[in-house]
Amino acid sequence: MYCRRLSLAPIFFFILILCSPVATYGGTPMEGVRDTTNKIIAIVSDPALKTPDKKKEKAGLIRAAVDERFNWEEMSKRALARHWSARTEEEKKEFIDLFGKLLERTYLDKVEGYSGEKVLYVDEVVDEKYATVSVKIVTKKDTEISVLYRVKKDGDNWLVYDISIEGVSLINNYRKQFNSIIVQNSYKELVDKLREKVEK
Amino acid sequence: MRALLHFSGDAVAKRNAALRKDRSLLTPLFGVPALFFSCILFLLCCTSLAWGISEIPASFQGENPFQAETEAHEITGSHSPGDSFSAGVRLEGEQGLKVAGLQDSQKEPPPEAGPKKQVQEEDNWMEEGKSQSPLPDPLEPVNRAFFHFNDKLYFWFLKPIGQGYEIALPILARVSIRNFFSNLMMPVRAVSCLLQGKFKGVGIELTRFMVNTSAGFLGFQDVAKIALDMPLQDEDLGQVLAFYGIGPGFYLDLPLLGPTTLRGAVGWGGQLYMNPLNYLLDEWWPNIFARTVDIVNSTSLRIGEYEALKEASLDPYIALRDAYYQFRLSQIEK
Repeated sequence: MYCRRLSLAPIFFFILILCSPVATYGGTPMEGVRDTTNKIIAIVSDPALKTPDKKKEKAGLIRAAVDERFNWEEMSKRALARHWSARTEEEKKEFIDLFGKLLERTYLDKVEGYSGEKVLYVDEVVDEKYATVSVKIVTKKDTEISVLYRVKKDGDNWLVYDISIEGVSLINNYRKQFNSIIVQNSYKELVDKLREKVEK
Repeated sequence: MRALLHFSGDAVAKRNAALRKDRSLLTPLFGVPALFFSCILFLLCCTSLAWGISEIPASFQGENPFQAETEAHEITGSHSPGDSFSAGVRLEGEQGLKVAGLQDSQKEPPPEAGPKKQVQEEDNWMEEGKSQSPLPDPLEPVNRAFFHFNDKLYFWFLKPIGQGYEIALPILARVSIRNFFSNLMMPVRAVSCLLQGKFKGVGIELTRFMVNTSAGFLGFQDVAKIALDMPLQDEDLGQVLAFYGIGPGFYLDLPLLGPTTLRGAVGWGGQLYMNPLNYLLDEWWPNIFARTVDIVNSTSLRIGEYEALKEASLDPYIALRDAYYQFRLSQIEK
């Protein structure tokens, strides 16, 4: 009995070693970004979803794909920066929701105009739990737009917390705006403005 | 945003073209083009040479004291990919310097200190935004007024004209016209590369000009990029000034010209003398006509960019100011 258990041990470890990378390693950052991008491209170029009455359904599908990949909380935290810690839990929740919706809508507006632009995956740099994925978008107008995704490891997944387009970081840009509104007016004013923008 | 930037350069030139009508103002400058073009000719002859020694400039650039200095300042940003905030911190002026100083004093933490550094930055990002604006904006009220002026100018004039033009000409034609004008502006880019010691860039620009002007049908086709993999070198005099350590000064949002900084405006001033259109077209009306085509053409290719920025922002003025500055910083870094 004892002997038999001992002989099973190496096999057990072998299986464990085989399985462990699969269990803890959910693809590279670039694969993650590519995955989501391909999903969204498939949705926007699906002829069945191009009719006007399917517009809502299409937006819902894109939203779900984006939600999977974007870390709204991390984005909100970084966009509010020092004003984040002054917020109560409820305020934080409300802010994540509103800011997430604004970003989602901005993103939706962008991808809806998709008409066969090429997406080239240039490079990825991984450093512990952070990574960047550089992508090049070649437009129909023959211009190249360089896009940089900043991702952070969240469990098995790499989630996007910032996008830089031609060196302009989205979150840095919002941070400047938010800070200016909070300093010159108040946090409440910022939330009102956000809500107005989202509900429009 | 880039749309506005683009119009602006041309608008300066346009005003300059109007000035050109005054011949007396121009007479003392006739020596400049002659000198300039003989320089260009000389450089053209040296192109093959420049290609041959393209390895040397790389080492030269490394030894450049100015560059070494900027690299030292930016050391925090270029380290790990995860620190978007450290890049952000870098933009935050005073505070950025403080953080940079803090990390410099750690003397390049050994590899095992990596995670620690990130944790530290994780804490740091909360402090970001303490300094309200990295780019001083003492003229904000005036700038805001001009921002609104430019906004209306775009929506009431430029955009409708651009849209009409868009319908009239297919996209291929418009891209070709854009290529033609951008090929014409080679002197600005070549000289800017030269002044920064980017000899490879000079070589690329001159080769591009020769190839595109001949094989690319006067520059309508960008064959150098497609066939030779020689992309356009995005350099201008503002970047040259930045290269020599001159700060941005403060933010300016000029009527017709759009967002810039004091440094950028000085660069534009210098570039007025490098625009070949001024020397190629002697009469004022073809000159104005060429510039108008250029502006309308590039507008038609950029419709929607400014709208998107405005749509996504809570304070479009600040969004544009920051986007301009971030874009500029990334251009200078290259």
